[in-house]
Amino acid sequence: MFYILAEHPWFVATSAAYAAAMGLYAAAWRSTREIVGRIATGLMAAAIALNASLIVGRWIQADRAPFKSLFESLVFFSFTMGVVYLAMEKLYRTRVFGALAAMGSFLGLAYAVAKWDAEIVKLPPALQSGWFVPHVVVYFIGYGAAFFATVVAAVQLLAGHVPWVRRMLTLRAGTMLSGRALDLEQITYDAVKFGFTMLTVGLLVGSVWAKSAWGDYWVWDPKENWSLVTWLVYGAYLHLRRVKGWRGDRAAWLALAGFGVVMFTYLGMEMLPTAKASAHVYTSQ
Amino acid sequence: MSANSTTAAARPAAIPDARPAGSREVRQTASLVAGAVALGGVLQVFIEPGPRALVVGAAAAGAFVFVLSQVAPGRWRETLSSFRFTATLLIALSLCAVLGTLVLQNRPMAFYEREYGPAGSLVVAMRLDDIFHSLWFAGLIALFFAAVLNSALLRWPVRVRTAGFFTCHLGLLTSLVGAGASAAWAVRGRVDLHAGGETARHVAVTRNGVPTGEMVPLGFDLRLDRFDLVRYTPEFRIGYYDLTGPEARLKASFDPEPGVKHLLPGGDSFRIQKLYPDARSRVVAVPGPNGPPAQHVVLAGEERWLFPGDRFDGPGGVAVVFGEGLPAAPPAQTAILVSATERRVVVRRSDGERTFDLREGLDLAEGLVRFGPAIPSAQRRGELASASDQMRNPAAVLEVTVDGEPRETGVMLAARQDHVRTRSGALVFERREDEVKAYVSQVTTSRDGARQQARIAVNDPLSVGGWTFYQVNYDPKDPSYSGLEAVRDPGVPWVFLGFGLITAGVAYMFYVETRLKRAKAQA
Ligand code: HEM
Repeated sequence: MFYILAEHPWFVATSAAYAAAMGLYAAAWRSTREIVGRIATGLMAAAIALNASLIVGRWIQADRAPFKSLFESLVFFSFTMGVVYLAMEKLYRTRVFGALAAMGSFLGLAYAVAKWDAEIVKLPPALQSGWFVPHVVVYFIGYGAAFFATVVAAVQLLAGHVPWVRRMLTLRAGTMLSGRALDLEQITYDAVKFGFTMLTVGLLVGSVWAKSAWGDYWVWDPKENWSLVTWLVYGAYLHLRRVKGWRGDRAAWLALAGFGVVMFTYLGMEMLPTAKASAHVYTSQ
Repeated sequence: MSANSTTAAARPAAIPDARPAGSREVRQTASLVAGAVALGGVLQVFIEPGPRALVVGAAAAGAFVFVLSQVAPGRWRETLSSFRFTATLLIALSLCAVLGTLVLQNRPMAFYEREYGPAGSLVVAMRLDDIFHSLWFAGLIALFFAAVLNSALLRWPVRVRTAGFFTCHLGLLTSLVGAGASAAWAVRGRVDLHAGGETARHVAVTRNGVPTGEMVPLGFDLRLDRFDLVRYTPEFRIGYYDLTGPEARLKASFDPEPGVKHLLPGGDSFRIQKLYPDARSRVVAVPGPNGPPAQHVVLAGEERWLFPGDRFDGPGGVAVVFGEGLPAAPPAQTAILVSATERRVVVRRSDGERTFDLREGLDLAEGLVRFGPAIPSAQRRGELASASDQMRNPAAVLEVTVDGEPRETGVMLAARQDHVRTRSGALVFERREDEVKAYVSQVTTSRDGARQQARIAVNDPLSVGGWTFYQVNYDPKDPSYSGLEAVRDPGVPWVFLGFGLITAGVAYMFYVETRLKRAKAQA
């Protein structure tokens, strides 16, 4: 692994920035000094900028959008997780979730090291399409939102059972900026709504693309099926919210389940008995 | 609301009055979903479930459930449009989708018998081999249809604050209708053509990719004029293969760029010391005792050292022959005969001959031939050089450092896939397979004498006369062959219209309606 890191200092710098942001966000749970939180946000923004430079650099080097291999998509996923988080930090004026969000991006990059491409692969004809970039970008923004929803839902669940997590959510923590207590359930719901909208667009774009590449908008391919499952599970979440007894812990668990399905759709396809017949399972090296 | 009160809402004690209505809803939901699946499952034993039976069945069942829910006592209508029912149905549908990825779909019977043993025939009997065309799945779709319709009717009429719901759910129905139309009426098949004028008038119909034997007329002629298979330019890499496992595995790969030091797994390293992009081994002459004479000649830009007896052919029938004395003339249009000892050059043509003094810098045949230095007593030595800076036949010399010990490799030729071992692997200089970049058919359609030329490529289909042609296949062994897929699918516009409506409706519900509601609440 060292040989990879030694040859890719920008990658190392990006990971380090995420790790540092994670540390400072965690420190801000206890320190009410504003500067700690501010530095955390600054580091997170720097990490995201570095992450963007990795993507752009790869784009130039490969002379195509860098979303082909699992490795490339992991680097991009780390980026969208970070961007979505930072937007949410601004929107809800809280840094409570920063440490977990930075950890998500960091783990994305760490996994990318394990799945490092031995070499840059060429784009086969089917992927040379104007739909390729919007499809992937929209999906990964959606995944980023799903990740954020999961982080909030996890905090919500933990707060119910772990006193120090509950304390973390009080106004005395340095991470609370709005002067108001957080409505975690509402934040999860908002993030799921946004993610669901992206997944809907992604599904639409994907099927239009499939039509133009293969002549069929839907072929019940494993990856297609599982993205439908993702969409349906979040759809169930959205409808169940209005059923009595399905708020609180249950809704949070459902949000977690939704993300579990997202991750399986993204990373688990190789485990399926039908994977070999699939047209779009990410193949690792 | 604080985080604590949020979690408290999950406790059942918080909703005591929801119990009776809730439990009826649960009961009715369960019976509707189970009933639809069971009924479909039983019916498909008696009805051969072709695509039409499927669509007609689902539509009829949907209408039936819908009507029944309106007239039957016991608040079925409310259940059918309840959120609980919707969520249950969505989960049921997602379970079907999951199942479709666990059991390989649309294989021949023998496959399931091999895969599942005695249970294989059960798999097929229950249509688990083609879930999405089974009648029990159609039962769920029927419920879906009826439910969406019901919930929309309950909320009728459309208002600004509910337009998103209506748009989204209308989109769901539209897509569903489109999908039904596709299932019932779409025709797809193969058109296999060879470049150079082969013409198709029919489509060989396929189902799940397998030809049914049926031929459907296109209604026009489709002629393949040309077929181009474009490949990526070849690439040469230094690949590092891990040899510790049972199989060599490519772990890293490097641009053949001289001078850059690269670290390898396990701490070894290497750098390219010398790179010959277009390697040629050639013979050079160096002075040496008691050797034959040698002469340097450039012919049409190519240089060479000639020893006695050597012949050097160039374009336009020019041949240079070198000897100690004057060599015999070969049957060439222009024979340039060079004598080392006489130091003279004879140019012989059909129209006569001329003689020149041999000296360095002598130019003949309008600069085509140019004489360089001469060595009276020479030795041959093999030398590697690059004939150009194009990566035509690259060779490299590496410096590989294993366990801290640097050593230089011999010349490694990519064409030979030369390799060098490191501690736990090997570096290989190799050429990557030339992957296919694009394949494109140039076709002419003609219908009632009207001709039109067009291009079909992957991701760039051609629509003509109700058919759409997709470039789907090529044959590396037969460069003139082009495989096209022809599709006639009346459902497509509806499916996409529905998707568009769903997207617009969802966005409106989430981002416009909430604002409208908030504004109203504030007012
Ligand atoms: C069985 C079929 C379905 C029924 C009966 C149904 C019914 C409903 C109803 C009654 C609403 C509430 C509208 C209001 O605000 O008054 C709703 C909302 C919604 N429906 Fe459906 N629906 C169905 C299927 C779907 C599907 C398949 C999706 C997409 C996955 C979907 C997406 C949505 C969304 C996103 C909302 C908004 C939820 C929210 O505001 O939180 N629906 N649906």
